Amino acid sequence: MSVAELKERHIAATATVNALRERLKQRRQALLDTDVAGYARSHGKTAICFGSTDLVCCRTLQGHTGKVYSLDWTLERNRIVSASQDGRLIVWNALTSQKTHAIKLHCAWVMTCAFAPNGQSVACGGLDSACSIFNLNSQVDRDGNIPISRILTGHKGYVSSCQFVPDQETRLITSSGDQTCVLWDVTTGQRISVFGGEFPSGHTTDVLSVSINSSNSNMFVSGSCDATARLWDTRIASRAVRTYHGHEGDVNAVKFFPDGQRFGTGSNDGTCRLFDMRTGHQLQIYSQQHGNNDNDVPIATSIAFSISGRLLFAGYSNGDCYAWDTLVAEVVLNLGSLQNSHEGRISCLGLSADGSALCTGSWDKNLKIWAFGGHRRVI
Amino acid sequence: MERRAKKMLPAVSPPPAVDSADYSFAIEYHGPPVPYEIPEAIPIEIERIPVAAVAAPSALPDPLSLPVVQPLPSPGPLKKPSKSGRLAADPAGASPTSVIENHAAMDRLDSVEVSGEVGSSGVLESAGFPDRSAELSEGIGSSGAVGFSSELKEGEGFEGFSEGIHSSGVLGFSGEVKEGEGFEGSSEGTGSSGVVGFSSEFKEGEGLEGSPNDMVHGRISTESALSSEFDFRSSASGDDEAFDTQAKKAVLVTFQDSAQSSGSASPAIGLTPRGRMEESGMRVPKGACYRCLKGNRFTEKEACLACDAKYCNGCVLRAMGSMPEGRKCVSCIGSSIMETKREKLGKSSRMLKRLLSSSEVQLVMKAEKDCEANQLRPEDICVNGKKLTQEEMVLLQSCPCPPSKLKPGYYWYDKVSGFWGQQGHKPDKIISPHLNVGGSIMRNASNGNTGILINGREITKVELQMLKWAGVQCAGNPHFWVNADGTYQEEGQKNIKGQIWGKPTMKLLCSVLSLPIPSKPANPSGEELDNMVNRAVPDYLEQKTLQRILLVGYHGSGTSTIFKQAKFLYRSIPFSEDELQDIKLMVQSNIYNYLGILLEGRERFEEESLAEKRKNQQLRSSGTTGNKELDEHDDTTEYSIGPRLKAFSDWLLKVMASGNLEAIFPAATREYAPLVEELWNDAAIQATYRRRRELPLLPSVASYFLERVVDISRVEYEPTDKDILYADGITSSNGLACTDFFSSQLAADGSGNDDADQQDTLLIRYQLIRLHAKGLGENCKWLDMFDDVRLVIFCVALSDYDEYYEDANGVAINKMLESKRFFESVVGHPSFYQMDFLLILNKFDLLEQKIDMTPLTVCEWFDDFDPVVSRHHYSNSRSINNCATMAQHAFHYIAVKFKKLFCSLTGRKLYVTLANGLDSDSVDVALRYAREIIKWEDERLVFSSSESFYSTEPSSYSP
Repeated sequence: MSVAELKERHIAATATVNALRERLKQRRQALLDTDVAGYARSHGKTAICFGSTDLVCCRTLQGHTGKVYSLDWTLERNRIVSASQDGRLIVWNALTSQKTHAIKLHCAWVMTCAFAPNGQSVACGGLDSACSIFNLNSQVDRDGNIPISRILTGHKGYVSSCQFVPDQETRLITSSGDQTCVLWDVTTGQRISVFGGEFPSGHTTDVLSVSINSSNSNMFVSGSCDATARLWDTRIASRAVRTYHGHEGDVNAVKFFPDGQRFGTGSNDGTCRLFDMRTGHQLQIYSQQHGNNDNDVPIATSIAFSISGRLLFAGYSNGDCYAWDTLVAEVVLNLGSLQNSHEGRISCLGLSADGSALCTGSWDKNLKIWAFGGHRRVI
Repeated sequence: MERRAKKMLPAVSPPPAVDSADYSFAIEYHGPPVPYEIPEAIPIEIERIPVAAVAAPSALPDPLSLPVVQPLPSPGPLKKPSKSGRLAADPAGASPTSVIENHAAMDRLDSVEVSGEVGSSGVLESAGFPDRSAELSEGIGSSGAVGFSSELKEGEGFEGFSEGIHSSGVLGFSGEVKEGEGFEGSSEGTGSSGVVGFSSEFKEGEGLEGSPNDMVHGRISTESALSSEFDFRSSASGDDEAFDTQAKKAVLVTFQDSAQSSGSASPAIGLTPRGRMEESGMRVPKGACYRCLKGNRFTEKEACLACDAKYCNGCVLRAMGSMPEGRKCVSCIGSSIMETKREKLGKSSRMLKRLLSSSEVQLVMKAEKDCEANQLRPEDICVNGKKLTQEEMVLLQSCPCPPSKLKPGYYWYDKVSGFWGQQGHKPDKIISPHLNVGGSIMRNASNGNTGILINGREITKVELQMLKWAGVQCAGNPHFWVNADGTYQEEGQKNIKGQIWGKPTMKLLCSVLSLPIPSKPANPSGEELDNMVNRAVPDYLEQKTLQRILLVGYHGSGTSTIFKQAKFLYRSIPFSEDELQDIKLMVQSNIYNYLGILLEGRERFEEESLAEKRKNQQLRSSGTTGNKELDEHDDTTEYSIGPRLKAFSDWLLKVMASGNLEAIFPAATREYAPLVEELWNDAAIQATYRRRRELPLLPSVASYFLERVVDISRVEYEPTDKDILYADGITSSNGLACTDFFSSQLAADGSGNDDADQQDTLLIRYQLIRLHAKGLGENCKWLDMFDDVRLVIFCVALSDYDEYYEDANGVAINKMLESKRFFESVVGHPSFYQMDFLLILNKFDLLEQKIDMTPLTVCEWFDDFDPVVSRHHYSNSRSINNCATMAQHAFHYIAVKFKKLFCSLTGRKLYVTLANGLDSDSVDVALRYAREIIKWEDERLVFSSSESFYSTEPSSYSP
């Protein structure tokens, strides 16, 4: 078979795939008779009331000298690790708003950080294409820096996101600019499996974020610049379980819904979406009406669900941080318009494990902790 | 204040009319006549109040959930009147802490007279009701604080609010509020809070504000840093049970925030620096905490380094926040510390140690010592009559023997001997000599009158005594020249006359005279410059002195080569052991890649030649009968290989196709090294290699490595410098690579740099950051991480103009156009607004080789390249010599193309230089040029007035 012939067949096959994909999309469209908001409204649900003081900034964590790019809470809810462009990881005590550790990184261009489930070590990754693990209990060296306890190398592009597998101390999943996600064994530093890459069902461009299902830690979802999110089973590395289309821009953030049956995404197209994990349907779009100038639409940089899933917090590039009512798809609160809000892009946000506090990180170099005020029930 | 209040007056508009809101704004006052003037309500200017949070129907779709306070049926459900009193006081006392968005409007709005009055009256009231809990009086105290907190700026969140709400409570009802406080009409009191519509909502915020405080208290009591008692919600207030009934009634309004929580939270006012507190007439009781106004002078307190406000252990964490600059109030962050507190820098107090865990204290102290705002300002230090610059300051503080306890002031410094003292006084210390700080020493620096000079300074009597004891002949007022090691000579004479510190008793004598003796430096002086280079720069300076240069370019533009050249040029140890190992692995896996490409080519050539052969045979055998066996026998061409090699070749191609070539490394090297050798020596491969020009995927450097494939594939292979330079990429992970070098290294043999110039830039560190084009992500997503670079070097390979690559859809794309597209997206990226760009046109040698074979016009962007008639050529050719080659013409043409493109995108000038990555000199020149651009830009900022004079200088620099 000649090369030309092969090419021809390849083109034909690609066309077929695209046609099928289009049909699938249409079929989905036809099947999707309603969205969450429509259904909820038809059942008489209304948006929850959220006063401007129901969520109040109660801590400002100052100390970074560069843009904050990422943050993560410990499971025991009182510590936060943040990564900033100043080349430092800072571990904060959220209660006292003091720093407990400041880790100077070898590569200042860090994009992501994560706490291990036991709270004893943190991981970070960035443009150096490696994921570094620091043990917070290890002895500091002469300059007061914590040495790297393990470095996970093997990615061929930047490490955009990392998360520890919740019930396995030694497992970590990273996503990378080399179009793959990798499951690592932290103790040995070896790759256990690679998701995507040479396999045809993987992402076709940079993977930007991962989120592990909290109820079934074998499943995780990844979001990519190819405007799709993909669901993976860590036991089956060869192919993505499902691919979720819908976004019109890079999927910057993915996050599992608390019940583990759905997940949310935040994208460059300015929308957040809710997908059903099993059916693959897009359940809801969360987007604000903006002017018709497409360039002005602020991109959704980061998302987090409240403990019940009723609220979806989404950070945007213009400094807004909306609390969406996931049920009726209405913005119930804009943290960006509150007292003491951030002055720059919200780059990351995360909810504490018990859901009582939200932490936001911004390009204004600060992190802020927002807590449910008054006697508002944590939702 | 009055003026401000008046300003608000004219704009009369009705109070916030909430549509569909169905509640009264005022309840008539039935209490006894008040003995004081009832403050007038000032009309609220509705536009000024961001009412959305409150009045927007979407927020409150249900009238029932409006923050209307259910009228309290007198003392009915309340068990004790005192509680109701507290409750009633709540609007005034508790509200101050609420955090709401409209405080700015409110604090302008609140009539200061009113709140001030309330404040004072509040104090009166609390005096009148001594049976009240201390918390309540505190609440009132804080409401009194309203008067001054209106001075605060917007940023100081809570305070502003506090008074906003308070006054809002007061607006219509100040009288009633007071009544409420006076126990007379609790219903009115609460009524007022209801009237204030939005204020009732705010109270929830206050609850929150209060709670962390409770937390602090709780935590302190347990003394465990990780105590989990902290609740982000404000449920922790003490009086919950008593007010549960109310809490249930009020949907949005919470009254249950106990006076205690409000009391402890309201002193957020304490954040106000003392000065402001004082000028506004609010006095902190002597010795009390500035925030909670409790305690006396014996309570342990922590003071702000900048404003000396003192806080008790309950308030210090609230007032100082996360202490990014050490112990400073939140509002003082960024301001410099009081000089008297300089000695305390970095010395923790017992209180902090009790409040925080040891690692937290450590970090706070570290931040306190190291942060920039807490450093001595160089302009405060005057040495030999000259104010120091930042560089000199660092030089002084980081020398082996720095002056101890440096304070702002005037000093003299004897550069030769290292003597250091305050202006007009005897020497204080002997610091490291030969530091280039300050001006030159003056004769009267130490105000001596002995007539004897040491290094041009007239010495004091004490020193003369010392010299006499040291046995120095001082008759006839000699002028001495004392060196750092203590040897001295008379001025104008060559021979050394003696050693001052020769006698062991001298040290004792000096201490008797309280004169300094030389201290042993950690490392003997001499290699001053080296020290400079290796010295750790303080953190706060690192940011300032680090000049980042980003080196980007499209794939194959030679950025990695330039980066590696820079490492070879400016680093004593260019590559560490690990890096070498990495590069070795990279070279070895690359060679397999090249082999793979060759093998692929071989298959193609074999196929082609077989087809050719068959055709010929068919032609030949068309007349005769075809012999099949002959055909088969003839199936070998010069590109055929043996079965063993064939198997290896198939395996390698398969591995490559599946993309996990990396996975088999480095194990493969050991196993297949002999096979590789055999393969390379095979005639078929050699034949293919001879036709390498027909293999577009094979990079030009491949031949360099392929010719040494046998050596390289061995396990014991060590990459040479040249190998490293020729290798594709820097690390196998394709990640970001950066290298630091000092300006001095860059300028070491640079011409035209006078000494003073070098001194200035000695501290400046350059960091060259090289990033693979793919590392920036799709659409340069991560470029915003590099908005702090000083200069972007964009690299374009000149040889790209006739090269193509295939994109995912199999379409051939010209590499030069792709470079151009990448250039456009980098230049146009918002984070590079006003950034300087240097374009390096790389691989000039390759251009020279191929320009005569392939015309530049192959690339559609360059289709108007016509060196003979081109206007560009004409204008450019004047600056170069007459016999410019075609390649030089092409370079200038391309440079102008890019300059025009850059100008059309940004309206500014693009710096362009030419380089050949494999030639270290040309890279050196290019990087020096980059440094010149940065320096020039710095100077332009300083002498912006003389901009026109300079404006053409760097762009005219063109090699």
